[in-house]
Amino acid sequence: MIHKVVFSILFSVMLMGEYVQPEIKKQNTYELYCIPCHEHRPYSLERVYMLYLKTFSGETIFKASLKAFLKEPMEETSVMPDEWIDNFSVKSKTRLTDKELDEAIDIYWNLYDVRNKLH
Amino acid sequence: MSVSKNKGTNLLRSSEKSSLRRFLALYFILVVMILSLLGTFYYDSQKDLMSSNLRTLLSNHANEEVQELRRLHRDFPKRADYPRSDDFRSAIYDIERVKIFSGLKNPVVNFDKEINSNNNTIQFVKYLDDYYLGAKYLFIEIDEDTEWYRDIMIEILTLGFFALIILAIFGLFFVNLFLRPMKNSMTLLDNFIKDTTHELNTPISAILANIEMMNTDIMSEKNRKKLGRINIAAKTVSHLYHDLTYLTLDHNRESKDQWIDLKQLIEDRVEYFAILAGAKKVNFELHLNYSTIFIDTIKIARVVDNLISNAIKYNKRGGIITITLEKNYFIIQDSGIGIESEKVGDMFERYTRFNTSEGGFGIGLNIVKSIIEEYHLEIDVTSVLGEGTSIRVDFLKGAVDDT
Repeated sequence: MIHKVVFSILFSVMLMGEYVQPEIKKQNTYELYCIPCHEHRPYSLERVYMLYLKTFSGETIFKASLKAFLKEPMEETSVMPDEWIDNFSVKSKTRLTDKELDEAIDIYWNLYDVRNKLH
Repeated sequence: MSVSKNKGTNLLRSSEKSSLRRFLALYFILVVMILSLLGTFYYDSQKDLMSSNLRTLLSNHANEEVQELRRLHRDFPKRADYPRSDDFRSAIYDIERVKIFSGLKNPVVNFDKEINSNNNTIQFVKYLDDYYLGAKYLFIEIDEDTEWYRDIMIEILTLGFFALIILAIFGLFFVNLFLRPMKNSMTLLDNFIKDTTHELNTPISAILANIEMMNTDIMSEKNRKKLGRINIAAKTVSHLYHDLTYLTLDHNRESKDQWIDLKQLIEDRVEYFAILAGAKKVNFELHLNYSTIFIDTIKIARVVDNLISNAIKYNKRGGIITITLEKNYFIIQDSGIGIESEKVGDMFERYTRFNTSEGGFGIGLNIVKSIIEEYHLEIDVTSVLGEGTSIRVDFLKGAVDDT
């Protein structure tokens, strides 16, 4: 009986592993580490992008400011409205490496880049 | 003493004309410069006024566009159509001057000049405080109003033209006013020269006539030489008298042209100058063929006299004067000091003398030039320094008797 249970668990895990693993491999840094936290927030990542864009304008400044904030989040450097900060407080420090951060921010910039969307 | 106007004074008139021309040229340049400057100021002020109006208009367009961008930023990306207007075109650039979107006709933009006119378009740049859609720079573009430029240029040129005419009239008035004292004093001087010249005629004629009448055969050799010197001196003064008379009295009189036998005339003048030439031991060598010319007697005599007189004056002692007369030209050649080729052009200028040791006022060749020009003759001077000068006068076809 015990053997059957153990075998069933191992088989299920094996099946789940085969099914889920390719999905995880397809996800990029941005999808892995940014979307999960933001998807349930009232401010979508798109709105945050527009806030950053309105505050910093150019691509280089946008990316540098976002990276600096993610590495050292502070109320003073946040672009989010006060109500947001009052409700959700400032996010915690990122544990991503510089390389991962750059990659995630590049994907984020390209995803919502207004230049490609205006017509 | 009353001062009368003297139309016969060439010296006075040419001097007046020259001063008048110089003054008017200077006055004209100054007036044009001042009018150009005023035109430039007027154009700049009108342009500033136009720019000011334009700035207000473009600023209003920019404010409208900012409101549209604000709305678009808020609704983005649900709505992604860039706001356009029939009255203007616009473009947005980010803080790094990278284009976000452009609907401009002229793609060349200037970030540092608020209003920029280029390629028939006027562009206005507004720096945004809130970077809607990431835009730091908002460009508003309209087509340049070329009619305004044409209208203002027509206005400036018309006003400038009338101002130039009015100022030219004032200029002429002032020139006459300023030249009047000079005219009066020159007329006085001219009258004095004329009166003096006239008074010279009688004594010189008397001296020359009496010398001709004197019987030299009964004179001692010593007295004959003295008389010869008196004759030379009197003829020199007589020659000068004729030049001065020509300048002050005869130049503007009506020409009395007639057929002149040049061979006879040259022979007469050579005989007249023979005693002067003899004093310098200068010999004449004549190669004269028959030629007639339709010209005023006094004027052609002045030409021949002055050329022979110069040939004697600037000849070396014991030199030769060769006179050649052909149907269409004559040449008077001396074996004198000659002049440098670059100075040949100056020798016809009034009061120009190349050798101050010789007498004269330097007016002889100037008289020759004026007569040559009056009758459209051609004069050619060939001179070699230290070897001599050859002057050739060509007659125009029709002036000589072709029969």
